[in-house]
Amino acid sequence: MTFFGFERPDGQVGLRNHVGVVSVMDNCNAVTRAIANAVQETIPVTTLFVRGQLGRDLEIAYDTLSGLARNPNLAGIVLIGLEPVTTEEVARRIRPSGKPLEVINIQLVGGTIEATALGTRHAARMVREASRQRRSEQPLSKLRIGVECGGSDTTSGLASNPAIGIVADRIVEGGGQVVISETSEFFGAEHVFAERAESAEVGAEFLDAVLGFEREVMARGLDLRGANPSKDNIRGGLTTIEEKALGAMAKAGSTPLVGVVDYGQAPTKPGLHFMATPAPAVESLTGLASGGCQLVLFSTGVGNPIGSMVATTIKLSGNRNTVSDFSDNIDFDVSGVIENGEPIGKAGARLFDFTLEVAEGALTTSEVLDIRETAISRFEPSM
Amino acid sequence: MTRAIVLHPSDNVATLIDDAAKDTEASLNGQTSGTVRLVADIPYGHKCAVTALKRGDDILKYGQVIGRSTADIPVGDHVHVHNVEALRARGDHEEGETL
Repeated sequence: MTFFGFERPDGQVGLRNHVGVVSVMDNCNAVTRAIANAVQETIPVTTLFVRGQLGRDLEIAYDTLSGLARNPNLAGIVLIGLEPVTTEEVARRIRPSGKPLEVINIQLVGGTIEATALGTRHAARMVREASRQRRSEQPLSKLRIGVECGGSDTTSGLASNPAIGIVADRIVEGGGQVVISETSEFFGAEHVFAERAESAEVGAEFLDAVLGFEREVMARGLDLRGANPSKDNIRGGLTTIEEKALGAMAKAGSTPLVGVVDYGQAPTKPGLHFMATPAPAVESLTGLASGGCQLVLFSTGVGNPIGSMVATTIKLSGNRNTVSDFSDNIDFDVSGVIENGEPIGKAGARLFDFTLEVAEGALTTSEVLDIRETAISRFEPSM
Repeated sequence: MTRAIVLHPSDNVATLIDDAAKDTEASLNGQTSGTVRLVADIPYGHKCAVTALKRGDDILKYGQVIGRSTADIPVGDHVHVHNVEALRARGDHEEGETL
């Protein structure tokens, strides 16, 4: 089984051929957006904060911004910074990708008008160069897909998450990588999932990530029920985090868990991985895209429209009401599993075919409507 | 008839896949069969009890514990946040306190 994609200098394969205009910090976003608005086929990768962040948060910010830039869906990068020292922190993490990179510092070029003009010129040239590249035939082992759920309800665990699990198994069997995230959405399911770890070490690492995060919540005296399940999850019939977690886990299919990675970090070997991320979709999608996922399979129950800016996002639902009433934001319908008894294997096989179609260029709702956002996790105050 | 799905033979709740009215029957599908008489209006996607539950009983779905009942729940009643509580990440409870 193969697909056609854009080969990058580091051997990764893009499913899209965008030029990314990437902000180093929040005060650069206006320039980033202006350039992206001016040049077709670019995407803006904006961020909040970074300036004034420190320690672990600052590392996460640099790593995630550069991870997004290294994502193979981007053919080249125009990096927009304020001043050269912080900009270089991001730029030096992008360079190993070998992709075209242009760097602009707003303070050094005479302000935002000049930065916008220069960046527009760079982006226009890069897009024209990138447009000359053709897709080439690639093995499934070049696919790294994220599996995500948002706006979940009880249909997620019955239909859309198990359908994603079938695709996840097919990708792993083909030598590719699958990344499941959302740490808190393992509370109550972690004991079942940990049994699938390929070694005791990986199992322990996974349990540490999940139980360590739960201890953090407890130590702060917080009651998770205030946030997860969310109000719309509850309206959709999900009663507790345990119930949600047991349904969410189905996205990971049935292959062994082979590795655990930190927020925004890329897996280094084939197979199923867990990435520790917060549960909200934008933060989690940003981590997955930074980790090099070219595509995310995103199941929704009551309806969550958002996609990743960088990783092509497929929205699917098994809730008949959502498929009909939220159709503008749904790419794929698996409601037949519940309504007509369509076997999960068959729904998953249909979804696999659709996934490859999207991989090769078919556009998703979040792409054509530009329902896309970036948010990098932060855990500490700014200074 | 309203349809409901039971995911594991040991489950004590079923998920309704149609909107259901009080005093109607729901057919049980999946890992069990038969019918249950509903004693509450229950929306699409929500759960009903398929066995009688006492306050403090584990709620089982997927054959796993998804929470604990906070009230006695008769067969056919709506099982949701008004009569079930989560047991995980409950920092609002004292450490060591049995939930």
